[in-house]
Amino acid sequence: MPTPQSDLLQGTLDLLVLKALALEELHGMGISRRIAQITNGTFEVKAGSLFPALHRMEEAGWLSSAWGESETNRRAKFYRLTKTGMRQLHTEAERWERISVAMANALRAT
Amino acid sequence: MIDRLRAFWRNIFKRENANADLDEEVQGFLEMTAAEKVRCGMAPEAALREARKELGGVEQVKQGVRDTRAGVSLDIVMQDVLYAFRTLSRNLAFSLVVVLTLALGIGANTAIFTIVNGVLLKPLPYPEPDRLLMLWESSPTDRNLGTVAAANFYDWHEQSHSFEKMAAIDPYPDFILNGSGQARRMVGAAVSHDFFSLLGVHMAVGRDFLPEEDHPGSNHVVVLSYSTWQSLFGGRSSVVGSILRLNDADYTVVGVLPRNFSFVSKASDYQSRNRFDLWTPLALPSPPEAWQRGTHSLCVFARLKPGVSQRQAQADLEQVARNLQRLYPKDDKERGITAVPLAQHVVTDVRVALFTLLGTVGMVLLLACANIANLMLTRGESRQKEIALRIALGASRTRIARQLITESLVLAVTGGLVGLALVFAAVPALVRHLPADLPRTSEIMVDWRVLSFASLLSVLTAIVFGLLPFLQSRRISPNDSLKQGGRGIVTDQSGLRGALIVGQVAVALVLLSGAGLMTKSLWELTQVSPGFQTENILTARLSLPPGYTNGNVYGTGKHPRISLFQQALLDRVRPIPGVQSAAFATYLPMTGADSSWAFDVQGRPPKPPGVFDVANYRPVTAGYFDTMRIPVLRGRGFDAGDTGNNPLVVAINASMARTWWNQQNPIGQRVCIGDEKWRTIVGIVGDVHHEGLGTKPEPEMYIPYAQVPNVEARPIIVLRTSVEPASVTGALLRAVSEVDANVPLDQIETMTQVVYGSVAESRFRTCIVAMFAFLALFVAAIGLYGVMSYAVSQRTREFGIRMAVGATRGAILRVVLGKAAKLVSIGICLGLIGAVLLALGIASLLYGVEPFDVATLVSVPILLATVALLASFFPARRASKVNPMECLRYE
Repeated sequence: MPTPQSDLLQGTLDLLVLKALALEELHGMGISRRIAQITNGTFEVKAGSLFPALHRMEEAGWLSSAWGESETNRRAKFYRLTKTGMRQLHTEAERWERISVAMANALRAT
Repeated sequence: MIDRLRAFWRNIFKRENANADLDEEVQGFLEMTAAEKVRCGMAPEAALREARKELGGVEQVKQGVRDTRAGVSLDIVMQDVLYAFRTLSRNLAFSLVVVLTLALGIGANTAIFTIVNGVLLKPLPYPEPDRLLMLWESSPTDRNLGTVAAANFYDWHEQSHSFEKMAAIDPYPDFILNGSGQARRMVGAAVSHDFFSLLGVHMAVGRDFLPEEDHPGSNHVVVLSYSTWQSLFGGRSSVVGSILRLNDADYTVVGVLPRNFSFVSKASDYQSRNRFDLWTPLALPSPPEAWQRGTHSLCVFARLKPGVSQRQAQADLEQVARNLQRLYPKDDKERGITAVPLAQHVVTDVRVALFTLLGTVGMVLLLACANIANLMLTRGESRQKEIALRIALGASRTRIARQLITESLVLAVTGGLVGLALVFAAVPALVRHLPADLPRTSEIMVDWRVLSFASLLSVLTAIVFGLLPFLQSRRISPNDSLKQGGRGIVTDQSGLRGALIVGQVAVALVLLSGAGLMTKSLWELTQVSPGFQTENILTARLSLPPGYTNGNVYGTGKHPRISLFQQALLDRVRPIPGVQSAAFATYLPMTGADSSWAFDVQGRPPKPPGVFDVANYRPVTAGYFDTMRIPVLRGRGFDAGDTGNNPLVVAINASMARTWWNQQNPIGQRVCIGDEKWRTIVGIVGDVHHEGLGTKPEPEMYIPYAQVPNVEARPIIVLRTSVEPASVTGALLRAVSEVDANVPLDQIETMTQVVYGSVAESRFRTCIVAMFAFLALFVAAIGLYGVMSYAVSQRTREFGIRMAVGATRGAILRVVLGKAAKLVSIGICLGLIGAVLLALGIASLLYGVEPFDVATLVSVPILLATVALLASFFPARRASKVNPMECLRYE
């Protein structure tokens, strides 16, 4: 089932992951599904982008991970936001809003 | 930051865990995706297939994660290193040759550097060594620096303003330790009370001298060296306050120097007495007495005030010198003061020699690098296809370059480590064989400077020999290389190889001619007749207790106790079987001991103040000339009649006769030496190379022992034997203890040993340079052989064709040898220029050899050409043995 694929801007994926994890801890597929859900299917994050991003963000200290049981009773690695990650989410979100307002204005200008 | 470090740690050292986790995580993702699809009604197999498709390749995902991990660049380096080890171990013979060559090169360089470091580069082992100076008396006419008169030291100390402290050392007092058992000679030094605090040395036990102990009459206190403390007191800390019976007087021990205290000194300043057993206060009278302005025997140390430069201090001293010239025109008219940094002073005589050694080994390493570069080039050519393939498969050129550099580094570092192991093994042996008068040998050890030097050298060599394959790899075009099929040689490196050979030959020539000059110089030196007959002489030093010299009135020339002792000993020694004759002397040639006195010739006009005629002064007993076989050229030597009661006489050497009497006959003329007495010249004797074989004989005047104005308490007995001289040692020792058991005897040596020791430094230097020069010749020959062999193997087909169309074997031989001859002769021409430059640089180390020595400059190139011809003859013969048919068929 092919979906309209938008190129993810650098930083967008990070922000989406942070946002997806803001409510509760999730495993990799949960994050992928949550992003699809909160963006109404606009972004479908592939494993090939998701996992490198998760590992990078974990090494940066934004996320922490622990092994747990998935809803289907499979061992899965759950990610959660750290305090740094939470802070990062706020600053990224603010920045994003500024940019999107600016972009919207720019595009609306005649 | 901490998270990243932790991640870095895990990625590098717990990679297995991290990878297993990643496997499970990605697998879980896959399974969960599939399970979701099954829940939506898909068949399990189809669901898994779909899930895989959606995932986009398990391995790619995992690689994606691994590429983002912390420390990924280190990972690549590790991969390169591992890969380099694999490639190199596949080519084991190549790698071994390279590593061993490098190990020898780096090892030899590091070993010599260890010596240079200990002797020249390390800061002196005292706090703030940059502020330490030595002060010398200087004269405008004579470049030599002189020891300092006590009164001058006193005035310098009083009148200068640039120094925090100024202290003097009189390195000559000797002490006879008696009290229990056999008397023992102790090497002593007398120092100003603040000498040790000037150096910044603190006593290990007890205290330093007090200022009030530095006065005549209160100076019977002593500081012991660490080893004296151990040997006399077993290291007991209760030593302070103990009494030592020295020279029949009681001295109180006040302190012990620390174990690591080393008195940094230039051997010639202290007549090789640089290990002192004990120290006493100098105790100069203050103000000094008038005679102390004319006796110059002190070495003066000074520590600059903080912030004062040496230049300022020198200006200050010149002011003082001008003042003294005005006040004491008789003694100090022409006298200046020169300050020399202590660190610089102690190494003045060895600096050139040590840097020559370092330069020599450096050149050997350069040759080794050239050989390795050649090997790498050859190997690089056979690897061209591999590299081309890797480029074609998408490896970037920087990645390839990095790989090649890593390989060079792996080789160089391995070579460096093996070399360092050699250094650790070799340095103790090397230190044992160092000439005895090299300063600061106790500080030669492998330290951080040596280790950094070895690492730097490894990296540098890697760059030098790794650069060529690297440049070579940049020229590879994958298209061409792969198209060439099996042959694969496109780039012609023969120009580069030729240049390397030319360079090697030139460098080898420089080294060989340097070694040739030094060997010839050493040979010339050993051919010098010392002026006496070296063989079959035994010498030993006696230390007479003060009882023998006390009571002798200065200048009376009457020393009955010493004369009686000497006569008694000679009477016992002469009948010893194997002893032919025996005599006493005070200053023996080539031992560094010397003394000179000013003299006046009767009837000549008085000299202006401050100008003196000076000759060396040699008190000897009758029979000395005969025992040493110093020829009496005119007149007579001394005999038993030349006693204190008879007319005073003197014998002069040929140099002195030539200098002051020229054509006249000096015999019968009268001279006055230091005292007010006239002495008649009764004989002229042959010149002796007193300072060493390499220095010119100086004017000397010999005086009968019984007539000298003041006596030395340390006469040397000289025995001429008809048997092996060392074999009469026991009999000599018995004879001495029979005459007086309180007289210690030491420094028992044969004259052959003394003379041999005097050229030890030159011999050591020459041996090392010659060794390295032959190593260089060998390395260059191997290099030439390698290059010619390679060239021949490359041209096998060409030679085959040539021979097929009628070239004779001789013609082929000539072609190959001609090519070698061309390279070698260019190398020799360049090398000759270098050889002349080198010779000019080391001229100060040469004796009796002109830097432009034709014999060396002709014979060394001939030797080199012969070896080079031999090295290229074997490849040439192989080329001429090519079977044309076989070779053409093979292609």
